[in-house]
Amino acid sequence: MGPMRTRRPLVLVLLCVAALLSSACGDGGKAKSIKVVIAEYSKDHTRPFWQGLAEQYTKQTGVKVDLQVIDWNSIDQQVSTMIQNNQPPDVLNLNSFSSYAKDGLLYSADEALSPKTRDDFLEPFVRGGTYRDKLYGFPILASARAFFYNRDLLNRAGMTAPPRTWDEFLQAARKIQALGGGVIGYALPLGPEEAQAEWSIWMWNNGGDWKSGEAWTINSEKNVQTLSFLAGLANTHKVTQVNPGKTNRTDGAFQLFKDGKVGMVMGFSPLAAQLDAERKLNYGVAQMPTNTGTPVTLGVEDYLMAFKKKGNQEAARQFLDLYYQPAQITRWITAEGFLPVTKSGLQQMSGNEKLKPYLDALPSARLAPTTDPTWDKVKLDVQQNIGLAVQPGGDPKQVLDRLQKNAAESGR
Amino acid sequence: MVVYPVLELVRASLGRYSITGLHRGWVGPRNYGRLLEQEALSTVVGNTVTWVVMVVAITIVISLGLAQLLNESFPGRRLVRWALIVPWAASLIMTSKLFVWLYDYYFGLVNRALSAAGLVARPVDWLGDDATVMGAMIAVGVFVSLPFTTYVLLAGLQTIPGEVYEAARVDGASGWRAYRSITLPLLKPALLVAAVLNLIYVFNSFPIVWTLNDRNPGFAHDTMITYMYKIAFKSALRDVGVAAALGVVNVGVILLAVIAYLRVARWREEPV
Repeated sequence: MGPMRTRRPLVLVLLCVAALLSSACGDGGKAKSIKVVIAEYSKDHTRPFWQGLAEQYTKQTGVKVDLQVIDWNSIDQQVSTMIQNNQPPDVLNLNSFSSYAKDGLLYSADEALSPKTRDDFLEPFVRGGTYRDKLYGFPILASARAFFYNRDLLNRAGMTAPPRTWDEFLQAARKIQALGGGVIGYALPLGPEEAQAEWSIWMWNNGGDWKSGEAWTINSEKNVQTLSFLAGLANTHKVTQVNPGKTNRTDGAFQLFKDGKVGMVMGFSPLAAQLDAERKLNYGVAQMPTNTGTPVTLGVEDYLMAFKKKGNQEAARQFLDLYYQPAQITRWITAEGFLPVTKSGLQQMSGNEKLKPYLDALPSARLAPTTDPTWDKVKLDVQQNIGLAVQPGGDPKQVLDRLQKNAAESGR
Repeated sequence: MVVYPVLELVRASLGRYSITGLHRGWVGPRNYGRLLEQEALSTVVGNTVTWVVMVVAITIVISLGLAQLLNESFPGRRLVRWALIVPWAASLIMTSKLFVWLYDYYFGLVNRALSAAGLVARPVDWLGDDATVMGAMIAVGVFVSLPFTTYVLLAGLQTIPGEVYEAARVDGASGWRAYRSITLPLLKPALLVAAVLNLIYVFNSFPIVWTLNDRNPGFAHDTMITYMYKIAFKSALRDVGVAAALGVVNVGVILLAVIAYLRVARWREEPV
């Protein structure tokens, strides 16, 4: 025990010295290293790409990169811990940005991007990254949802085309469900993983929305109608999988669809990539069924942010400018199977047949209200609660009223 | 080394934090007040009691049987002893994910086996049905706690000298009577160790409840440990300060268990 007792403080002291040295680099003068935190989109492509980019960056600038690729499940926690400990990253990739902008932690585009990089962004994604008239959330990549259907099941149920309206959708779901043998009409994932995405699509295709101007409209009459429609799918018509309010997207709804058990599901391009790799399922991709005449889909924009730290502005700008070189960003987005966020990228990728349905859907795509910092809490509230509305005995209006109340309160 | 994280936790519980994790000043005990205001809190505390008591109790009862079995000599005993270590050696997250598949409504082996045996008329959504989630989680909790507990009790059994049983047999006590009047009393130290360490371990367990319950909205099946994580990162509160307040309470619960253990252990060691 004796030697251990004396050695421990020494280790501590050394650790502290090391920590002081590394954080001291940021003060006075230029940063000698930057911390880059990236979410893991796939095991195969994310780390190799960013590792390569970091090496190239170090070669060009002499600035070292501390690259951390973190899985989506723990990235919120790890980033929060970094900020609590006053050791924020220099460059961060995440699916939200406005809370960080609100806290005054970020460089704006004027400070952290060259004008050429900034001008290459597609306009909708610039809007999606703007907080109080300044661009803080730089688009890193995008995705769009599309309506996936199992051709074989649709044909067996006597249909040749996917449904375009909600009425047709309900009929299709009922016919597919009626095939029996455990076949499911529509896989509805309203569990906590991504409930806000599934809900957004249904809400918009009935003419509802999250907000009207500055005010939240979560419990509007239209939205109550939409959620009641979804509850009806589950409990009245019984055309969904068991317990849709307790089914997640990835290992729930997608799994059932991949297994050929489900007629229809809302998917996105990475699902298509998996289906194409497995070559088991004869599927089609179409626009969302609509109740208003105009199909709307959900676009998702993920962000890159540059954190304000002493002496790191130039280093962060150089890193971002390197990523946004058309060859770099497009190579990565293509590898991950997502959609472009830059004009040059759109040009390069528009010839890709596989991406056509999603690229076609992009103009009609809408984003969640990520520019409002309140959204970061509303999203979590929706994820934890909306599933309860489609359980047997659930009350759509009550659930939406509560979400609305919480949103209005945290917005103040 | 142990005290420092606790101090940090207490410090965090007195702070006000932005959703990003940015420290915005001190609020005194207000986070504790907000914790008490949470509607879900009573459910969560109830779940925690059920989870800990059921897992520890069932584990000990089954382990007593297993330890007794492994204490007898029979062909293949070595193999069985090794096999019992497996669930212990596997990572909790992997084990939990495996059980998610076993329990699955559509693909799971549990439903297939039960319906083949004619025990259920239709599949059960073990992890989605509010009536079965807790039971399903407890079963996994017991499964992963058995190896450690069985080995502690086995070690205890092996300290009981054979002569005691011989003496008992001479006196005419055997079987159940001998077990109750000799084995159990002499096993008390081992039982105590198994119970308290399991209590702490099961109370602190995150991966099982988190993984098996991740599809369910709300907090109806959370324990104080998973609820703490949800307060910090997965609920509309998203508040590190309130989560830290619950963290302090959690540490307090464990501390109580440890103190109770030490007192009972000392009482045992003192000569009667």
